[in-house]
Amino acid sequence: MTHSPLTRRRLLQGGTAGLALGLSGLSPHAARAQEAVALQLSWLHSVQFAGSYIALQNGWWREAGLDVSLLQGGPNAPVEPPVVAGTALVGISAADYAAAAVAQGAPFRIIGVAMQKNPFAIASLPGNPVETPADLPGKSIGMAIANTPVLQALCRLNGVDFDAIRIVPTQYTAQPLVAAEVDCLLCWETDLPVAMAIQGIEARTMLMADHGYALHSQTYIATEDSLARRRDALVALMAGEARGWETCRADSDAAAELTVAMFPDAGLDLPTQKLQARRQLPLMFSDLTERHGFGWWSDEAVEANIRTLALLGREVTPALWDRSILEAVHA
Amino acid sequence: MTMRNGLAGLILLLAFWQASALALSGRHLIAGPAEVAQWTAAHAGLLSRALAVTGGNAAAGFVLGNLAAVALAGLALLWPRLTGLVSGLALVVFCLPLVATGPILRVMMGPGDGPQIALAALAVYYTTLIPLLAGLRAVPAAWLDLIHVYGRGRMAELRHVRLRAALPYLVAGLQISAPAAFLGALVGEFTGAERGMGVLTIRFTRALDVPALWSIAALAAAVPVAAYALIGALAHRFLDETPPVLLAPPGTARRSRRAAPVSALAVIATVLGAWWAGMRLAGLSPFFAKRPGDVLAALIWAPDAAEARQTLAGALAQTGAHVLPGYAAGLAAGAGLAVLLALLPALSALVTPLAIALRAIPIVTTAPLIVLLVGRGAAGVVVLVAVMVFFPTFVACQHGLRQAPGQILDVFRTYAAGRWRQMIHVRIPAMLPALFASARMSVPAAVLAVTVVEWLATGGGIGGLMALSASVSDYDMLWSSVVLVTLISWLGHAAVGAAERRVLTLYAPEQVRP
Repeated sequence: MTHSPLTRRRLLQGGTAGLALGLSGLSPHAARAQEAVALQLSWLHSVQFAGSYIALQNGWWREAGLDVSLLQGGPNAPVEPPVVAGTALVGISAADYAAAAVAQGAPFRIIGVAMQKNPFAIASLPGNPVETPADLPGKSIGMAIANTPVLQALCRLNGVDFDAIRIVPTQYTAQPLVAAEVDCLLCWETDLPVAMAIQGIEARTMLMADHGYALHSQTYIATEDSLARRRDALVALMAGEARGWETCRADSDAAAELTVAMFPDAGLDLPTQKLQARRQLPLMFSDLTERHGFGWWSDEAVEANIRTLALLGREVTPALWDRSILEAVHA
Repeated sequence: MTMRNGLAGLILLLAFWQASALALSGRHLIAGPAEVAQWTAAHAGLLSRALAVTGGNAAAGFVLGNLAAVALAGLALLWPRLTGLVSGLALVVFCLPLVATGPILRVMMGPGDGPQIALAALAVYYTTLIPLLAGLRAVPAAWLDLIHVYGRGRMAELRHVRLRAALPYLVAGLQISAPAAFLGALVGEFTGAERGMGVLTIRFTRALDVPALWSIAALAAAVPVAAYALIGALAHRFLDETPPVLLAPPGTARRSRRAAPVSALAVIATVLGAWWAGMRLAGLSPFFAKRPGDVLAALIWAPDAAEARQTLAGALAQTGAHVLPGYAAGLAAGAGLAVLLALLPALSALVTPLAIALRAIPIVTTAPLIVLLVGRGAAGVVVLVAVMVFFPTFVACQHGLRQAPGQILDVFRTYAAGRWRQMIHVRIPAMLPALFASARMSVPAAVLAVTVVEWLATGGGIGGLMALSASVSDYDMLWSSVVLVTLISWLGHAAVGAAERRVLTLYAPEQVRP
């Protein structure tokens, strides 16, 4: 797929025009039949989904006949039910949550992988750093109890004694680390460490993906039924995502500016969004995506994911991943 | 006088706040009032838009929930036989954990403000319905006789006697509703709302933006307090009687031993029927919308039922270890402080307005702050539950202490009996009905508090289990948790009600006389 890389100014012009259209409730293509679809996001609006905003504001989905609404997630907003119910055509989940839902009878397939490298990281302060998993024994780690299997898997993968780590249940905030109540935190590379950096606190992060924790994150999921009956809409949706993310990659600062402009009531901070985008993009693009395009995965990556999922107690087969939509997008 | 005391209390609070902020500076815990004011001024636009959204949803829920309460009360008045069923069903719905109803409402209602408004309505209707039912009955029989002597019917009875008698009760219910509606709207925003105070809270918690968090917390506290005060002031202006504090006298028409289980069975059967039929009619996917049969299967005869029961029992035990001490401590502290202040009236003038104001602060605001201050372990959860129970108990008990019959106190004074003696033999027995009414109404409140805190902050217990189950799509477990939490809340309410009846028969027989 090729397209001229947008300049920052053009991107923002497009964004602002789209914003104005959105506000007036008019569409220049109103005469053309638009298929209404929804994309269920996994969290609050932020640059984490910048590719979608770029596609929406530049009208790329509208041109393809799709009227896309982006449904925001939240701490108490599971992604899977709206996708099963058909409220959303596609949801943004992760391989472990998708596998769990499939085990409960949800007919999901993963049709794209935004984060090639899992964003889970262990953040620490420079005075008492965690550089490798071997540094973990004897330390206290702040995390949600629900993530215990994640830490166990990391320990198994690296031959580290899990029982020698003291787990402290914490809210999802960097405060316990900053206040030295814990030695390290289990968090995403792209949120709490970014917040700390913006507050002027330097943090060390150890990306779990660099230590064998292979698990696709920010994966696009759709139902088997949609794959069979709404293939064109899926291809158009994913094509917009791919184009949006390539544009974001070309100028992540502009993507952050667009995000902040689109959601003035979301309490977003521009420097935070810019830094988050810069930390997120290396997790999304690799040699593999360079060769095959955004969202791609290799068979080896699937094998590695299946091994990690087994450590997390999830048995899945390679059939969970379905590359046919991406093949059509990048054809 | 009250105004000046309230002001003094406020200044005291601000001073304490600023001092704590200075003492804990550098830990990213507390932002002082000066810093918060500065942040608030700099972000006035953002804050006012968020407040308008959350406040608007809360107001819509407030109106809808209270209209529903009035309609239900009207139903119970038209068909008195239905009273037991109506209040029983209302209690069951009130006991549903907001944490779990939120996402289900979101899936059913789609994007927009639906779940926020629905949760706000759900949070208020019960606390209006119960006082209203009590108020409609709180009528001297002689007045009704007068209506009948004039040959007038039930409509006249309603218009001239019952509605007037019920008004103060309605106002009291509305007063409590205002903060509850705000809480419902905030919790609703966690299910994927685009904007509002709840959304900003999540954002700023993660961003470690302490002044922003405290600014939001201060606003989210001030608005419900103001609404509470406003309704109170309106009532004071337009009503002759002050709103009653004892809102929920135990059922006046004492049911026979056989009637109570029959009524409970009717409630259970209706709930199960409505649950099953509702899911069928709405055509909800069985992936997440489990039916009664699914829950029974998951708990009783599914292959992994034993494991599920064990998980649930473990989570419930952990939650019980938090909620029971917190509940007991909240009741003891509320009653204890009320007694102490009755002995030291000078202190009372300072503390009481503050306590009434603090009662209105929504738990979503206080939860993260208390957990930050007290810690994430059991202590934080216990303290939060205690706080949730403390304020209503304190206010109710203070009122109760004032109900001590003057003649009896005069007799004690004549015999030069001291304050302590008066307290133990007259005032405390007079306080018991209020204490028990509060204890009963606090059961669902305590369960709400513990599930919200476990879900938002600590991650353990049944609240944590519900959040975890939703995240890994284990909807059998989620629904089983909801059913059990609701059932336990309901049974707890009934158990306190039974204890109340026994105690009141001894100390306040007028409350339970048929």
